[in-house]
Amino acid sequence: MTDATLALPSRTPPVRQTSTMVFLASLAVFAVIVTILAQQGVISTSFVKTLGKTLCLCLAAVAMDVVWGYTGILSLGHMAFFGLGGYAIGMWLMYARTEALVAPGLAAQPIPPTPSELQDAIGSQIFGVVGSSDFPLIWMFADSLFLQMAMVVLVPGVLALVFGWLAFRSRVTGVYLSILTQAMTLALALYLFQNDSGLRGNNGLSGLQNIPGFEDAPQSAISLAFFWASAVALALGYLLFAWVVSGKMGSVLRAVRDDEARVRFLGYHVESFKLFAFVLTAVVTGIAGALYYPQAGIINPAEIAPIASIYLAVWVAIGGRGRLYGAAIGAAFVSLLSSWFTGGGAPDIDLGVYTVRWTDWWLVLLGLSFVAVTLFAPKGIGGLVDLLTEKRRPERQGDYGPDKGAKRSEEGVE
Amino acid sequence: MHRILIAILAVLTLIPVAGRAQDLQTILQLHTEEVENPGRRSVGVVIEDLIAARLPAVPVFLTHWQDREIVLNAEDGQFYALVDEDGDTATIRNLDTGDESEVAGDSLTEVRPNGGVRREIAAALVRFQLSDENPANRRAALDAIARRPDADQIAPLTASIEDEQDAAIRADKDRLLNILTARYGETTEARVEAIERLGGSITSDARAALSQILEAEDRVSAEAPDGNIAQVYTPGDQISRTEAYGRLVDAELAPAPVSGGAIRDALIANIDGGMVLDIPVELLDTDAQRRAAYDRLAQAGRVPPFVTQDRIDAALDSHSFYAVYEEEDAAVTDAARATLRSVETQVSLNQTADLALDAISLASIYFLAAIGLAITFGVMGVINMAHGEFIMMGAYTGYVVQQIVPDYTWSLIIALPLAFVVAGAAGIAMERLIIRHLYHRPLETLLATFGVSIALQQLAKNIFGTQARPLTSPDWLSGQMVINELVSISYIRIAIFVLAGLFLALLLFILKRTRLGLEVRAVTQNPGMAASMGIDPDRINMATFGLGSGIAGIAGVAIGLYAQVTSEMGANYIVQSFMTVVVGGVGNVWGTLAGASLIGVLQKGIESLNPSNTLAAQTYMILFIIIFIQFRPRGIVALKGRAAGA
Amino acid sequence: MRLLEVDGVSVTFDGFRAINNLSLSMGEPELRAVIGPNGAGKTTFMDIVTGKTRPDSGRVIWGEENRNLIGLSESSIARAGIGRKFQKPTVFEDQTVRENLAMALKARRDPFAVLFRRSDMPARLAELAEEIALTEHLTRKAGELSHGQKQWLEIGMLLAQEPRLLLVDEPAAGMTPAERTHTADLLKRLAQTRAVIVVEHDMEFVRRLECKVTVLHEGRVLAEGSLDHVTKNQDVIDVYLGR
Repeated sequence: MTDATLALPSRTPPVRQTSTMVFLASLAVFAVIVTILAQQGVISTSFVKTLGKTLCLCLAAVAMDVVWGYTGILSLGHMAFFGLGGYAIGMWLMYARTEALVAPGLAAQPIPPTPSELQDAIGSQIFGVVGSSDFPLIWMFADSLFLQMAMVVLVPGVLALVFGWLAFRSRVTGVYLSILTQAMTLALALYLFQNDSGLRGNNGLSGLQNIPGFEDAPQSAISLAFFWASAVALALGYLLFAWVVSGKMGSVLRAVRDDEARVRFLGYHVESFKLFAFVLTAVVTGIAGALYYPQAGIINPAEIAPIASIYLAVWVAIGGRGRLYGAAIGAAFVSLLSSWFTGGGAPDIDLGVYTVRWTDWWLVLLGLSFVAVTLFAPKGIGGLVDLLTEKRRPERQGDYGPDKGAKRSEEGVE
Repeated sequence: MHRILIAILAVLTLIPVAGRAQDLQTILQLHTEEVENPGRRSVGVVIEDLIAARLPAVPVFLTHWQDREIVLNAEDGQFYALVDEDGDTATIRNLDTGDESEVAGDSLTEVRPNGGVRREIAAALVRFQLSDENPANRRAALDAIARRPDADQIAPLTASIEDEQDAAIRADKDRLLNILTARYGETTEARVEAIERLGGSITSDARAALSQILEAEDRVSAEAPDGNIAQVYTPGDQISRTEAYGRLVDAELAPAPVSGGAIRDALIANIDGGMVLDIPVELLDTDAQRRAAYDRLAQAGRVPPFVTQDRIDAALDSHSFYAVYEEEDAAVTDAARATLRSVETQVSLNQTADLALDAISLASIYFLAAIGLAITFGVMGVINMAHGEFIMMGAYTGYVVQQIVPDYTWSLIIALPLAFVVAGAAGIAMERLIIRHLYHRPLETLLATFGVSIALQQLAKNIFGTQARPLTSPDWLSGQMVINELVSISYIRIAIFVLAGLFLALLLFILKRTRLGLEVRAVTQNPGMAASMGIDPDRINMATFGLGSGIAGIAGVAIGLYAQVTSEMGANYIVQSFMTVVVGGVGNVWGTLAGASLIGVLQKGIESLNPSNTLAAQTYMILFIIIFIQFRPRGIVALKGRAAGA
Repeated sequence: MRLLEVDGVSVTFDGFRAINNLSLSMGEPELRAVIGPNGAGKTTFMDIVTGKTRPDSGRVIWGEENRNLIGLSESSIARAGIGRKFQKPTVFEDQTVRENLAMALKARRDPFAVLFRRSDMPARLAELAEEIALTEHLTRKAGELSHGQKQWLEIGMLLAQEPRLLLVDEPAAGMTPAERTHTADLLKRLAQTRAVIVVEHDMEFVRRLECKVTVLHEGRVLAEGSLDHVTKNQDVIDVYLGR
């Protein structure tokens, strides 16, 4: 992919890589076009939100690509980090919003409320739905935007660190690791489903589209602002990961993917590198989630269910593993197509005896096309790019690379 | 009821009894005054006479009498049963003949026995019922007594035991009498003896009797505790000081502490021109400020003062807190306490047994759900995300068969092999079409089979709809086996357990005793070597995949019988199945059994700690498994040596 | 001076004693050939020294500070200065020759150092590439190289690691006579500045190395000394040479 010779640095810095430049430029153009169309009223506010959410999903997919396509860890738990980021910011949004709602009522009382009275009023407003009124300990920082933003990074980060450390040090690899990450997600989702989890059980957090402090701003402006924030986050995340997977770090990560044991004999502490990739991607995924859920307006534990993480993997695979833009394209393509089909956008097909309603048949189509992609186009949509640029990769002889990264006769643990 | 009474009549008329010359009305007329206006003492004479008459109409009359349905007809001065009253006219029934007639309503006087009398009547009725010809009625009478035990029932119950012919009912009567004696016996000795006999019984009525004897009431008093003391509470020890003070307040022995709300209300009541005393209202936005303002109000005598800690301490010190048994006899309560303790030990043993049965049946389900996965994973290193959908397929096969074959037994007999064939065929098709091309790429297989999984799930939704479909079990499988009041297990779960056992045996047989098993094991342990020895891995893979998927289909029928059939049922089992395989150790039937047992026992065990929260139980179970894998990354039963392929 | 001391090491797999109270000592520099029939424990011996297999008993003492290597991870042992060359060339085929070499270069190995220190020491790289005659192929993917080139790349990676002890597994397997001579010369040259243990089957090749030979049999040392010395040992003749 590079034209490095001895005189040049081993790899071009990410900004100067063609794919990165093309990606960032397209993203910028796309953002500008969407902004203009939105202001002209050509596209609706809800569609701007859909696009903004899609950008967040792209960011999560890019992170997933780093951990799976580059490092070879098929994590079926990254959407858990996405959800945790959403919950972390959602707590502040809901607290501040509820505070804004109950404060005038309390202020109208004969005597001004004490801080604890205010707290109780907010608490019973938020937790009334689960039959409680006390703030659980985890809401300790909910009144501080700054601290909750720190939580967006810390909660997924620490969870990934602890889980990753436990999993990698016991050398759980391959399918086992995937199942373990899936178990982690499932445990988290089940925990959050409980009413006494402190996060409103299956009600989740809602009303997140109302941004405290911007009550007067129209949703059209807010949606554009979040769209831009998502675009910037995607751009920065893309740059960060492009930098990480370039140079020696990328080299080591891909080496870990292809032959973990050999990397160990080179003196690299494989577990540290896996943990690095796992935690970094978890944190970025958390940030993506924190941007996604204010646009979605609601988060509940179903968002963390294992299936969500599997879909993330599906997007990356369809887009093409081992290339960051592939992941982003896959996520955007599949999730937009999915909302088009399930939203009734696709026309029904009348076969005479039976009418194919895409709201019913879309998942069948997705499932089968996913099988087809895995079987016939392991490079995914990214493979098209190869065809277009006619950069034919020479046939490889080994069982290596992102497409065959999983191809190992040794599976499981060492 | 009437039919029974006629039966009694039939029997009673065969018994020649002296003095049975009268009819019922004659006896009643002898005691007109007592019947019309019965007193608790005087009614005994009537009842004795009625019982002595041994007339079949007597219990009918007693029932009516108790239910206040007896009327005195002023026209002929006779007693009748009131059948219906409609405006001015009423339908009445002759007590002896059963003939009905209509009379003017105002000629009737209702006979209204008071509560005490009705109890006497009830006791008399119980005597009839306890000696009833029909065992079912005798049991019903026993149940009625057990539901509402009463001291008065001791005598009739005792009287009825002697003639009881049915050994089982007699045992129940003895037991009930024992319970009644324990609670209402005449003497302390009799009661203590009865209580001690309850020691061997874990039935809920025996336990209820014991805990009712031990019912206690919390008290506070300025004096030393008296009465039959159950427990003495020391504030700050058995109960918190706050709670102790709360009890004092409730007993109106101490002033209530001033709460935050009370402070607020008092301040609001004392606002005068935006000020409380000389403090502006705006400043009262912290608890400290509010307390200070309240204190000043108290000093001004306008509100009650704060209750200081000293006063609370003094009040707590000068009172005693204790619980007193309602039963005054200490010997009885002591005996009851000792017995209850031993009963509780037995109860918890039995509950553990019940839990163990639950755990075993859950383990059987997990085993059935996971074993197919274990085979394909172990032999082929293939993780099949669509495994859950094969389970679903089996369940829907059962459902469809039931639609065609209405006899539940036959449909089950057809469904089991058919589910095996359908799911097995689907498995083989998937192996041929997809998995074959992805060998040695387990992660890709995982994703491709996931694609199959979502497609199949949606397909099932499109065909069968989203609502749950029932899979009805035949009659001989419904209901449950009751071992005792605490330990029971439904026949379906027993059947699943048997099914799991059969498959364990079958698989062990196939793997250890057949040519296929030999080849499968060869491929598991060393695929390359197996291939070079002429074993066709394609054939083996197909066979194993068919077998694994087929068993999933059968598991689906089994699961569908006790849960419902939905398109998502497979997805609900898939993660647990993975856990079972991973925890148990891959490629080993015994490992899967161990994994299923561990997970089943663990889940039920954690659930029993907090039965209301099964979600938490699952959460903790998964956390346990994650940690378990840290210590035994290869599972419980690990393949060893080079065969493990690491 | 003594660099590595394997002391009374035993390991059992499922009741099979792969290594039985094995003791061996290496100086620095030194060239040593380890020979023995199949199942003698040669590979297991290398696995133990490199940390892949943990023995049931015994010690592996390393370096001036007498560190016990038992219990250390493979990567720590590699960083301590033990390099391993596998029988089958194992290079990262999806990466360029240059990337393969850069990864192996002696440098700090923790993730943050790898992330932030991005220079790959071009001069040293060029020197290495020269040595293994792959200067022309630096930007090619390793997977595209011929078998022999891959062998050389792996040797280059080993050199880049700058190990103090080199474990080489059957280097002569599948080589032409010319390549064998070349390889033997290279090993002898490497052993001038470091310790090299060559595990080999091929007696002809061992003879060329002109070094001390250790004969393993059933997991323990059967004989040790010059090739001529051990080939005269009756035990060795019985179990190995005289087969």
